[in-house]
Amino acid sequence: MSAKAEALGGAGESKLSPQFHVAHHFDKADTQFDAGRMGVWLFLVTEILLFGGLFCAFAIFRSKYFPSFVEAHHHLDRVMGGINTIVLITSSFTMALAVRSAQKNETKKTTLLLAITLACAAGFLVVKYFEYSHKIHDGLLPGGNFTAADFASGHPGIFFAIYFMMTGIHGVHVVIGMGLILWILLRNQKNEFSSRYYAPVENVGLYWHLVDLVWIFLFPLLYLVG
Amino acid sequence: MSTSHAEHDHGHGHGSANGDHVPHVLPFKVYIGTFATLLFLTVVTVAASYVDIGHTGNLIVALLIATIKASVVALIFMHLKWDHKFHGIIFVSALIFLAVFIGITMSDTEFRGEAESIEAHNPVDLKDPFKAQRTGDVAIPKEAAAPAAAGSAAPAAGSAAPAVTPAKH
Amino acid sequence: MANTATVDELGHAPEVRGKNYLNQTAGVWSWLTTVDHKRIGIMYLVSVLVGFGLGGIFALLVRLELLTAKKTIMDATQYNQAFTLHGAAMVFLFIIPSIPASLGNFFLPLMIGAKDVAFPKLNLLSLYLFWIGAIFMLAAIVTGGVDTGWTFYVPYASGVSTTSVISATFGVFVMGFSSILTGLNFIVTLHKLRAPGMSWYRMPLFLWSLYATSIIQVLATPVLGITLLLLIFERAFHIGIFDPTLGGDPVLFQHFFWFYSHPAVYIMILPGMGVATEILSTHSKRRVFGYKAIAFSSVAIALVSFLVWGHHMFVSGQSELSSAIFSFLTFFVAIPSGVKMFNWLGTLWGGSIRFTVPMLYGIAFLFLFAIGGLTGLFLGTLSVDLHLHDTYFVVAHFHYVMMGSTAIAFFGGLHHWWPKMTGKMYDEKLARVGFALTFIGFNWTFFTQFILGTRGMPRRYYNYLDQFQPLHAFSTYGSWVLGTGFLITFICLARSLKTGAPAPANPWDSTTLEWQTASPPITENFEKAPIVTLDAYERPAEETA
Ligand code: HEM
Ligand SMILES: [Cu+2]
Repeated sequence: MSAKAEALGGAGESKLSPQFHVAHHFDKADTQFDAGRMGVWLFLVTEILLFGGLFCAFAIFRSKYFPSFVEAHHHLDRVMGGINTIVLITSSFTMALAVRSAQKNETKKTTLLLAITLACAAGFLVVKYFEYSHKIHDGLLPGGNFTAADFASGHPGIFFAIYFMMTGIHGVHVVIGMGLILWILLRNQKNEFSSRYYAPVENVGLYWHLVDLVWIFLFPLLYLVG
Repeated sequence: MSTSHAEHDHGHGHGSANGDHVPHVLPFKVYIGTFATLLFLTVVTVAASYVDIGHTGNLIVALLIATIKASVVALIFMHLKWDHKFHGIIFVSALIFLAVFIGITMSDTEFRGEAESIEAHNPVDLKDPFKAQRTGDVAIPKEAAAPAAAGSAAPAAGSAAPAVTPAKH
Repeated sequence: MANTATVDELGHAPEVRGKNYLNQTAGVWSWLTTVDHKRIGIMYLVSVLVGFGLGGIFALLVRLELLTAKKTIMDATQYNQAFTLHGAAMVFLFIIPSIPASLGNFFLPLMIGAKDVAFPKLNLLSLYLFWIGAIFMLAAIVTGGVDTGWTFYVPYASGVSTTSVISATFGVFVMGFSSILTGLNFIVTLHKLRAPGMSWYRMPLFLWSLYATSIIQVLATPVLGITLLLLIFERAFHIGIFDPTLGGDPVLFQHFFWFYSHPAVYIMILPGMGVATEILSTHSKRRVFGYKAIAFSSVAIALVSFLVWGHHMFVSGQSELSSAIFSFLTFFVAIPSGVKMFNWLGTLWGGSIRFTVPMLYGIAFLFLFAIGGLTGLFLGTLSVDLHLHDTYFVVAHFHYVMMGSTAIAFFGGLHHWWPKMTGKMYDEKLARVGFALTFIGFNWTFFTQFILGTRGMPRRYYNYLDQFQPLHAFSTYGSWVLGTGFLITFICLARSLKTGAPAPANPWDSTTLEWQTASPPITENFEKAPIVTLDAYERPAEETA
């Protein structure tokens, strides 16, 4: 059952990912894949620091305007946030499985798992859409646009500035992730991936897990403890 | 071109005889277990938010659970546990530098204006700022304290600082 | 004379000499779609030189305006725009990409014996992102300019200024991605593509400095990205994070900005230090003294540089506690810088110094960096900076490090590697004239500004007190000499393309790997994959015997 056995299966092997060749500047496939993964990890570092700026702002303003943060976070919908958390975790799970099935040459299964991941991502955005329209309707908007009247504490606009910046940039990452998943899904349908070559699936997977990671922190900070 | 010997191959793939990559496949139950753990922790963190253990307490619990969840995702879904050690170092260094950023920035925002109260006790005569030193500094000599009151402006207050004092709780 | 077992044929292989990376394929399209790191390096080189020219024109205009205490050639609004565009163009279009993206791109793979960088397409993407960012910046210039200073401080930039701040900052945002991708590419390349035998400690020290630079690019630039995004949103939608009237904190912007921009000054200087190391070793025919000390000090500088950003904010209203901490930590940066300085001197000690053009730049670098670095310590001293902040002393300090050190190292590197890149030798005499005028003009212009600063002349002022006029005028005259120096250098280099003698493979008798292939190199860099058996600065036994 192991992929190793399949990969070493002799004649069948040459049919796996026939389009793949080791790029001329790498000595062997492993070096190329390792390089790719290292590149993705470095990229994820930049993502962490990009979001990090917003986490920094969150920490500072939470400390500065504590009452307002407490009051404002009650206006976020824990249920919707919780549903989205589960949706995103599920998508992370199916994404991880998609990498596994690509490793095992189960092309059809890979396609299915990627499609589920994509559906989860879309579901996430739909829930976000409802949340956003609700906030906009209530005038719970960043800074100078804040119009909700019944707030006891000062400067609630700051909380919503951070909320919209964080979830907005996160949402953009979800959209980009959907594009990437779609791209590997289509390539997978052309039988490009196999135990011999699945680096793009793995790397898009890493990116997608990071999107999940960020949400794992966003959700409790914004929705639960404020 | 070849990889240098400096990189040891304790990661994925150990290379097959013909130079192809050989994947490192984890058993299915690892994925299911991870997924279940994540769902469970999500429920726990939501539930914990309904229990009032003080704002700081809730914050710490939430962050703790989030960190566990994140570690699980990173180690297992992202294969960091089996990957090259260097990739883990990359990841952790991002967190360290983020901590530096947030920590040092807050060393400013949390402590602004602290010198004002000191200066109120020990005012400086702007016309003759070194007088205190000549007369023995810290232990404000009685005769030096009196005329200095005229110049008790607090020079350290920056023009751009917002007029907000951090809410203490 | 070689590092590798295969090089003997490489220096002189007439059959393949005709073909090189420049003439392998022809036409603009072949350049725009190339993934060859050498061509990308050359395109970066041309781009940053254009940026330098643009920034230079604004610089001369600023200096000309300051010739007299009142209006000279432009009004106050135009003056604000001129110094902003000068600073922004020099920092973002020239100095940050200058050495890494042009010389680094070209030589990093060659120096480790690789065929290319790890991700050639990403490399091209990084160049395109740089161009796109530059277009946004140019768009800002034609659609109303920018007058915020290159630091884009709020609340002026987020609300008050009526110029095209968004276009300019968005351009910088995009260029940030370009910088990140270059850094990422270099790190992976150095880890994964070193030729057999090329261990970390056999790498030329230029590569250690690029490695350290790349770490900063990857770790710091994203924070600039989020800072500029917040600024853009603040300006467009009044989100209130930085706006004090909405409860925001303008000093927070400075934290965000300098968390990137102080490390960024090491993005600027570290590659310059690396170039200087190569030059000083090659042209004195000496092994670098204290190899590991220089290598590790680069990495140490990169890491410590993340802890000192608040020394730009001593008078911003930052807490006294932070100011004290930052002032204290700032002195730690000086240690690795000092280590380098002594090792360079140790390298020259007892070497057979040849005063070639690159060497002149190398020595000038040592001289100017010493002044720039030491005045940095004055400014890092909290109590001194309260007086010197935002005076011409600061202006002089950072020109000594950015222009005097980085730009001088860049031009030194350009002269050092020009024969390799273009296959042409330049006119040494003319190049020396260019150098001499640059060096004299630089000190003339900027040393004067130290004096202006200590006497209390604030920076970014359009009108000033009459008592400063003679020194200002003196500085302006210096800028003309400086400008002439660069003009001559450009003419000299450009002329060599047409009339220069063909360059031999290793004109300076250097030991590093990039000289062990033809000038200019073939597209694949080496005819046979090199196998490294010697340290970067080590000469084969038969030669030293
Ligand atoms: C020994 C190392 C250095 C130290 C201790 C140092 C220290 C400082 C300090 C304290 C300031 C703030 C002055 C003020 O605004 O009042 C400053 C400004 C500056 N430094 Fe340095 N510096 C060092 C090296 C460098 C290098 C290598 C570069 C660039 C290549 C650089 C570029 C700048 C720039 C651009 C500014 C002014 C930024 C602005 O306000 O527009 N410095 N430096
Ligand atoms: Cu600095």
